[in-house]
Amino acid sequence: MKQTDINHSEYHGRVNPNSMLGAALVILACIFIFYLVPQYIEVSGMVKNPMMSPRFLPLLAGWMVLLCSLILLVNGLLWPPKHTEAEAFHAGIPKLRWVLMLAAGAVYTMLFEQLGAITSGVIATFMLFLAHHLRHFSIYLLALLFPVVVSLLFIYLLNVPLPAGMLWE
Amino acid sequence: MENFSEVLSIFLSVDNFIAIAAGVLIGVVVGAIPGLTATMAVALALPFTFSMEPVTAILLLVGIYKGGMYGGSITAILIRTPGSPASACTLLDGYPLAQQGHAKKALKAALYSSCVADVISNVALIFFAAYLAKIALNFGPPEYFWLICFSLTIIISISGDSIVKGLIAAGLGIIVSNIGLDAVYGSQRLTFDNYNLMDRISFVPLLIGLFAIPEIIEFYTSKVVPHVRSAVSGASLTLAECKRSLKSVIRGSLIGVIIGAIPGTGATAAAFISYSEAKRNSPNKHNFGKGEVEGVAAAEAGNNGVAGATLIPLLSLGIPGDVITAIILGAFMIHGLTPGPVLFQENLSLVYALFCGILLSSVVLLVVGNAAIRYFSLIADIPKAILLPIVLMFCVYGAYAVNNSTFDIGLMMVFGLLGFVFNRTGIAAAPFLIGFILGPMFEDNLRRTLLISKGDPLVFFRGPIAWFFIALTVASLLFAVRRYWKSRKVPATA
Repeated sequence: MKQTDINHSEYHGRVNPNSMLGAALVILACIFIFYLVPQYIEVSGMVKNPMMSPRFLPLLAGWMVLLCSLILLVNGLLWPPKHTEAEAFHAGIPKLRWVLMLAAGAVYTMLFEQLGAITSGVIATFMLFLAHHLRHFSIYLLALLFPVVVSLLFIYLLNVPLPAGMLWE
Repeated sequence: MENFSEVLSIFLSVDNFIAIAAGVLIGVVVGAIPGLTATMAVALALPFTFSMEPVTAILLLVGIYKGGMYGGSITAILIRTPGSPASACTLLDGYPLAQQGHAKKALKAALYSSCVADVISNVALIFFAAYLAKIALNFGPPEYFWLICFSLTIIISISGDSIVKGLIAAGLGIIVSNIGLDAVYGSQRLTFDNYNLMDRISFVPLLIGLFAIPEIIEFYTSKVVPHVRSAVSGASLTLAECKRSLKSVIRGSLIGVIIGAIPGTGATAAAFISYSEAKRNSPNKHNFGKGEVEGVAAAEAGNNGVAGATLIPLLSLGIPGDVITAIILGAFMIHGLTPGPVLFQENLSLVYALFCGILLSSVVLLVVGNAAIRYFSLIADIPKAILLPIVLMFCVYGAYAVNNSTFDIGLMMVFGLLGFVFNRTGIAAAPFLIGFILGPMFEDNLRRTLLISKGDPLVFFRGPIAWFFIALTVASLLFAVRRYWKSRKVPATA
């Protein structure tokens, strides 16, 4: 009896991730097939054979995604996945940790040219070290050292012109 | 003779030797750090190859591939955490040996069997790739169309736990590969009038985003795991143990070669088949799973025997056998080369220079592997909290290096998020990459066939080679589905 209860709680009252994923993908696939393809893929008047059309492969892939998403949706409803250890592993993460990670990503994505490769590298690396509560001061020196070394490696050894940033120009 | 001197002139360059040594070293180091994979290392190294000669670039990537295969076994043996799925089999005997205080013995057995298997695999590559390429010269667009269809069946093998999710990922990869100007009609496809998207999605930001960024996001959105320290101790491998394992190593290498030459089968399967065959034939079969040197050697021979052989379909037919060879295929294209029979026709010296380098990489693996055993504790003890911010910096600089554009950094982040969503929802990223690479090839050969036949679809079914590939595609599909159902039944019944 006890065993049955445990198994029941493993399934009951939980949002089914496969069904949610399937439903989201069904919506996205429908938008793709019925809106994006007709609106954003031009077909030249020269195209006689539909298999030669620029829309053929995107539509084929779109229908495949739609069909598989429907299967996923139905499959998820019929056989809900169990609660996994991985879910517990991801629960209860300090907010500051992933906020700093996002901020570091934003520095690289939005300020890379403005700040330059070295400065953005130093700021982002510093943020990520901070996100993990690294305590040794010497480790933070690495946040200064590595962006300089890696930038010089790219610029002088690989001939990749990384941006210097507005501060230094 | 003239060709021979040309091959030597291409191969005998300091850059090539440095590339092989650096590649193997990076591969071993990355493979030895749990959570970092050889695929990630190859993806990250790709931007570094832009300014290199094609042979140097490919040798660097192949070196990382081979080093990564061995590196994965180090953590499997020492801390029971395989660096790659292919090394999972190695821990069955490797970890018990380490627990008994024979870590050094296990690591040496893994290294020597990896090197022997690698040499055997490379020799197979050299002998078979040219023959296969010669046959492939008779292929026309319909035959290539079916060959691509056959290659697409590997999606099932690399889909992980769910074929349906694998097909969704492949479909999304094909859709993303269609963004840009149409190659035949020049019409815009899903560019949204953004000039950055006109020339298709860049391969490198997609690759780095899909395989490196999710690891970083995953680390910062998961609970902190205490860092596990490792130790290399005990006596080394004896000659008697080497002799005892030799049969299993050679058998495992041959299994690896056969499995590696078939697209999509993979090193993990080769390692487990080699291990089970060794167990079945060994006089010490009772000791397997409890710390048997022969078990470690057989598993490693199986997974390293695959490395050279996966390059056979890549070089001779231009189709990738797994994710890493798909990345190497991308590297060929970035350097203006198309693997396949034409490569053998037009760049034979380059191909043979590559073969020389690949052979040399086995020797380098032996040297670097020995050093890694000695200094491994230092390498593996770098905590991820320090390592991953630096990896992210490499990712950003590498993505920027493609077109000197911050758009590519944004693109990399978008694909990184997509890869993270894939991880969390149990969708494998590898089918996405295969769809992205094979999608345009599929479309190109379909259109060329229809153009030649003036729209007659019957042309797809003419000729014995086309039928051979149709049969192969159907057989591969049936085999993969059967294997998938079998693998799902095992945990259900266990």
